Amino acid sequence: MELLLEQLSNWKFYLVGAFPIGPVGGLLLNIVIAILCLTISFFIGAIFGFGRLSCRKYISYPCIVYIEAIRATPALLLVFWFFFFIPTILGKNISLFWSAVISLSIYSTAYQAEIIRAGVLAVPKGQMEAALSSGMTRFQAIRLVILPQAFRMMIPSFVAFFVSLFKETSVTYIIGIIELVQTGIIVSQRQPDKMFAAYVCMAIGFWVICYGMSHLARRLERRFGMYDLSSYRPTICRKDLSLAPPCNGGKVTA
Amino acid sequence: MITGVKITLLIAVVTSILSLALGTLVAVMRNSRIRPLRIAGRVYVEIFRNIPGLFWLLFFYFVFPEILPSGLGDKLNAYIYYPIVASIIALTFDNTSYVSDILRSGLRGIPPGQREAAVSTGLSRVQQYQYVLLPQTFRKVLPPLGTRMIHNFKNTSLCMAITAPELMWATQQIESLTFRGLEATTIATVFYVGVALCLGAVIILLEKHYKIDISSITQMETE
Repeated sequence: MELLLEQLSNWKFYLVGAFPIGPVGGLLLNIVIAILCLTISFFIGAIFGFGRLSCRKYISYPCIVYIEAIRATPALLLVFWFFFFIPTILGKNISLFWSAVISLSIYSTAYQAEIIRAGVLAVPKGQMEAALSSGMTRFQAIRLVILPQAFRMMIPSFVAFFVSLFKETSVTYIIGIIELVQTGIIVSQRQPDKMFAAYVCMAIGFWVICYGMSHLARRLERRFGMYDLSSYRPTICRKDLSLAPPCNGGKVTA
Repeated sequence: MITGVKITLLIAVVTSILSLALGTLVAVMRNSRIRPLRIAGRVYVEIFRNIPGLFWLLFFYFVFPEILPSGLGDKLNAYIYYPIVASIIALTFDNTSYVSDILRSGLRGIPPGQREAAVSTGLSRVQQYQYVLLPQTFRKVLPPLGTRMIHNFKNTSLCMAITAPELMWATQQIESLTFRGLEATTIATVFYVGVALCLGAVIILLEKHYKIDISSITQMETE
């Protein structure tokens, strides 16, 4: 217990790293990476999510391949790819921070795309049909009718995904980013006798954020979750694609 | 590289099986009538779910031998396969919490009539779970359970952080010895993607095979 209290005098290091004199690190860096990834991958994920729902095969198939391939790859491997090989391919260095952000964004893009797709599919068919029959174009129907409803249902999934993404940011310690895990390791290497306390501090940092967020997700779910999103299986989804009107050269005849 | 693949598969399979068993236990605990058991199960899940698996790997590898009595800890540190053992322990604990959560939600989703029927035919509590509740739960939660197992398989790549000689570690080794990092990593990626996709396909097949006719059950409920 005393050891723990002593460690808490290091709290600033755990929270922000060497910030005032050096770069930002610690828990704050985890949060920054997670939020950046979430925002970047939301927009790219939306493209892929809708791409997968598209009725044109040359759009939907590449999206399916991308999503399934990324979902089948460990985050660590992606982080590695970007850290080691993108510089050799591009021929110039990118900073550690950005390589972590880009790789985790790509990782989370696939998941976000799936969340968005599930949300859109969870909107009852009739909505789309009603929108189209009232003379909207498909784009308008998606933007004005489907998305507002789908987004509502996606919110809990987004928060839940943020938790898992936040935990995934701990992976970046392997390429040498000084985030929470790395700060804990640094402290425990400086003072090997206080290793246990350092690890406990590390755990507390993760736990507080994740616990809070997952509780938030649960509350949001109670508020917004009207449909059981997880009950949408891919086989059903393929069938549901037919809810999109047939492609008449990209135009919908009203 | 081949040994790396073997170790990766070993860790993945062992942790999956162990966490399935432990997860069932924790799920049943959280569902039990005895309050301390429920609370213990909940505390376990909340702790292990909200802290990344990487942390548990590092914890079991570096810290666990330290907090044991010194003789035992030194023995563990000297044990040549300790990285593998530690990664199995850590990933099992990590995965167990998720599995138990999935199973618990499955257990809650079973219509209460099933349990009442089991009670009225005179089954003991263990028998209720064994013959009536758990088989249905497993069928029901197969899809999320499968996703979790794939995730667990992907998580084995983290074991490289504690020098368990699995695939990612072997890749790094090859890179540092021969500078053929690009090739090695490509092979590793293909392996991970291939195995994960195969697992996914197997799970979809299993799902089709074990699908319960939900409508008949709900019908029985309403009648």
